[in-house]
Amino acid sequence: MNLNWTAILPEIFITLTALGVLGIDLFYTRYQKDKTLNAIVTLSGMGIAFLLLPFLSAKTQIFTSLFVLDPLAIFFKMVFLISGSMTALISINYLKMEGFDLGEYYGVLLFSILGMMVMASANDFILIYLGLELMTVSFYVLSGFFKTDLRSNEAALKYLILGGFASALFLYGISLLYGVTGSTEISYIAGYLTEQTRTGADSVAGVTSAVLSHPLLSLSLIMLLAGLCFKVAAVPFHMWTPDVYEGAPTSVTAFMSVGPKAAGFVVMLRVLLVALGALEKQWMVILAVISILTMTLGNIVAIAQQNVKRMLAYSSIAHAGYILLGIVASARVLTAGSASVVFYILSYAFMNLGAFTVLLALRKEDKQTGLMVPAMDLEDFSGLSKRDPLTAFLMLIFMFSLTGIPPTAGFVGKFYLFMSAVDANLVWLAVIGVINSAISAYYYLRILVYIYMKEPKVVQSVDNSSSLWVALYVMALATLLIGILPNLLFNVARASVVSLF
Amino acid sequence: MRNFVDQLVNNYEFLETFPRPLLYLIAMVAASAIILGFIAILVMFFVWLERKVAGHMQDRYGPMEVGRHGWLQSIADGIKLFLKEDIIPALADKPLFVIAPIIVFVGAFSAFVVVPFSENLIVADLNIGIFYILAVSSLTVIGIIMAGWSSNNKWALYGAMRSAAQIISYEIPVGIALLAAVLPAGSLSMRDIVLAQSGGFWNWFIFRNPPFGFVACIIYFVAALAEVNRTPFDIPEAESELVAGYHTEYSGMRFAFFFLAEYANMFLVGTIVTTLFLGGWEFPIFPSAFAFLNPIIFVLKGIALVFVMMWLRWTLPRLRVDQLMYVSWKVLLPFAFACLFGVSAWMLLLHSA
Amino acid sequence: MLLVIIFTIFAAITIISAGMVAFSQNIVYSAFSLLFTFFGIAGLYVLLAADFLAATQLLIYVGGILVLLLFGVMLTHKIQEVNLSNESMRLAPAAIVVLAFLGLLSIAIYRTQWPTVPVPELTPTTARIGTLFMTDYLLPFEIASLVLLTALVGAVFIARGRVKK
Repeated sequence: MNLNWTAILPEIFITLTALGVLGIDLFYTRYQKDKTLNAIVTLSGMGIAFLLLPFLSAKTQIFTSLFVLDPLAIFFKMVFLISGSMTALISINYLKMEGFDLGEYYGVLLFSILGMMVMASANDFILIYLGLELMTVSFYVLSGFFKTDLRSNEAALKYLILGGFASALFLYGISLLYGVTGSTEISYIAGYLTEQTRTGADSVAGVTSAVLSHPLLSLSLIMLLAGLCFKVAAVPFHMWTPDVYEGAPTSVTAFMSVGPKAAGFVVMLRVLLVALGALEKQWMVILAVISILTMTLGNIVAIAQQNVKRMLAYSSIAHAGYILLGIVASARVLTAGSASVVFYILSYAFMNLGAFTVLLALRKEDKQTGLMVPAMDLEDFSGLSKRDPLTAFLMLIFMFSLTGIPPTAGFVGKFYLFMSAVDANLVWLAVIGVINSAISAYYYLRILVYIYMKEPKVVQSVDNSSSLWVALYVMALATLLIGILPNLLFNVARASVVSLF
Repeated sequence: MRNFVDQLVNNYEFLETFPRPLLYLIAMVAASAIILGFIAILVMFFVWLERKVAGHMQDRYGPMEVGRHGWLQSIADGIKLFLKEDIIPALADKPLFVIAPIIVFVGAFSAFVVVPFSENLIVADLNIGIFYILAVSSLTVIGIIMAGWSSNNKWALYGAMRSAAQIISYEIPVGIALLAAVLPAGSLSMRDIVLAQSGGFWNWFIFRNPPFGFVACIIYFVAALAEVNRTPFDIPEAESELVAGYHTEYSGMRFAFFFLAEYANMFLVGTIVTTLFLGGWEFPIFPSAFAFLNPIIFVLKGIALVFVMMWLRWTLPRLRVDQLMYVSWKVLLPFAFACLFGVSAWMLLLHSA
Repeated sequence: MLLVIIFTIFAAITIISAGMVAFSQNIVYSAFSLLFTFFGIAGLYVLLAADFLAATQLLIYVGGILVLLLFGVMLTHKIQEVNLSNESMRLAPAAIVVLAFLGLLSIAIYRTQWPTVPVPELTPTTARIGTLFMTDYLLPFEIASLVLLTALVGAVFIARGRVKK
């Protein structure tokens, strides 16, 4: 067997780093309280993997086309590595403050990134499923990482039970699809189904293609969609999101709202646009409905939240709705639609991670004990601009971006998404998206009202560790830069999706 | 088995009148019945042997009353158990209480289907032979937990939990140590494994790939002792702590089922060691000259190993729970892995040379 | 014909015991019924000429997973009481959902023209599976091992006692 090993070099590197971190923790930093070394190893491992990516030859298939390395995969792997390293940076001091500075954190974090990277490159449902499991199992552990905190335990348990259910649905979908097409390989399924469409069209009227009208095919489509919608937290599979996001450690929540979502969407792109491209009439309708429900429910419920972490959880549900809108559009305008999806995912990664980082950095004094505890409520943000104008300003950037106000990444991203919907003759869908953005402005800007127009109510402090601030600056700069010079990134996004078709 | 029936039909024409599948079925049932009967008799012999060995090791005679040197003792015991009143405790969970001994019994005896008494004396030469044994014997654990829970007795439940924890922990070194014999044979079939060791004792897997074959054999034997709950790994049945473990509440025939299964499992361990490491049915030197003795040799090797287990029982003290887990996970498992790597390295070396 | 009879027997064992798992009010009975479900599935694998898979099914599911499950059940509160029960709640909506799904599946399965292949020969599969694991399916094999490693690390982390400070 002749293998092109270079194609999986980044994955191998991440695996070795993860095992290395676990090993260092076991043999070197075991009895030390400070686990910064683990974080440094983790960051350098991710850095090297990231630097390797652009040098790999795109359009490689190895393991008899189980694993593909195309520009889309490379792009998404970069997204995962960027958001992963940001998460590692913001975690260093946070874990110390919370008293859970343990070595396993970084190892498991790396494994979750590995799972996402595998998902981005998988050209076979078996590999997709395994990547998905690797990612989710890591997040089960991470969300319960504060194991003495009851909320964290609750989050882990809820995620585990519901996630297991979603995985089972996804597997059932895969097996039904295998029953109909006789393969688990995405490109084979795509070829098989298109061929069936063609023979169906050629045949005499009334005798439509037998395979495409299989009720089983629709059933498997629905199950696959249910499994994926769970991972990206789309309505009606969103029930777990607020509780899990609220209970999990904030650094994990930040990553969880970005990484698994992006991974879920890249699988959706491959499964829906490539493997089940022939069924686009069916999934377009389903996804359009899901998209509208997700946006609307996410935004409306977010308004009622007093807890900022919970509010951001609902906001991340709403954003999944916007991205789904882009996928619906790409059923008609392939390149523009999927390019806008890819573009939006990267912008969303920066702005959402940024918003969570500010939340993570802000601490308040607990009135009873006098200790500094994480600030969660809207009230805790009041008067932040007077105490710490810089943090307040960064929060302003992220909130503007999440709302979609120029000149930020969020604005451009939404612009491309809604434009692609208009191009696809789905004006009504774009209109619903715009209305939803308007609704979202209410609760995003409300935080800014508290920050800038109210007097401080509690004693606040902001984490001033350098690692956190490096990440914060990077994210704020990226959010602005993408907003000001969108073409640079959009061309990359467009180039990455062209290879799909 | 099919070939055997086909041969029989060719030789005796009157058999042609019966449908072939029926004959296969009858042959299968007959073979299983013979094996079952043979193992049952052997087990009764073991029960007697255990008591004699224990007696002589403690400087006494053991059973002497029934028959010469008490050789009919087991039959007397059997009759006693058979005639005893069948007691099911009032608060026990009746259906599970009744099924449990059957499951344990089935798990122990169905493994003998693939044991090769000689080259052609196998009920079914499955190509996943040794793997099949591992799979089927995992039924025993379920039966034990079932018995322990349904008895509604805390000693029984403690015994069952200890036993199950022990069996699943030791299953791992067992599986990996067995691979050290499966690798050089290149097959999971019990018959092929023995054939791969033919031609004198220096070809046996215990002496191959030194020293890994030997170490793997020891690891398997030790871990298997734990799997069948024998001393020094007998905390599930520690009489001084738990009365009798999971079968505390059982009496009569149901107890006999557990008892038979326990000794059958001991013999099974003996036959596995014989098959995988000690050349199976072969005589140590000039095997072809002694081919007619094959089944007897096989059984004798098995009995010798069972004797070693009894010897150990009356020699060694019992391990504590923490020591038990320590031995499995921190001693046997790493060494088993080392053996697997060592055997693979040897094979790679010899193969490339 | 013989195959159909054997298939029916194994399928019946699987479905009936699976029903017991779901409907039994006694959690211990549910767990033990699972034994027969796994056994029935192993039988179905044998019918499909997947002998290695069948043995694996028994070894992993009966010998490993079911025992762990029973451990979990046994460690639950008040397990010593024999008439332990878990109540069923909201039977009506559950029944509606289940029946609807059953109907949907039955219609789908009934109306599908399944691609069929002839009954496979009962040939040894072990060597072929091993070769595939080391060649074409090496990557999924390794990823699966990493999934297990992660689960192991996570389980040990969660189960281990409080960190000493």
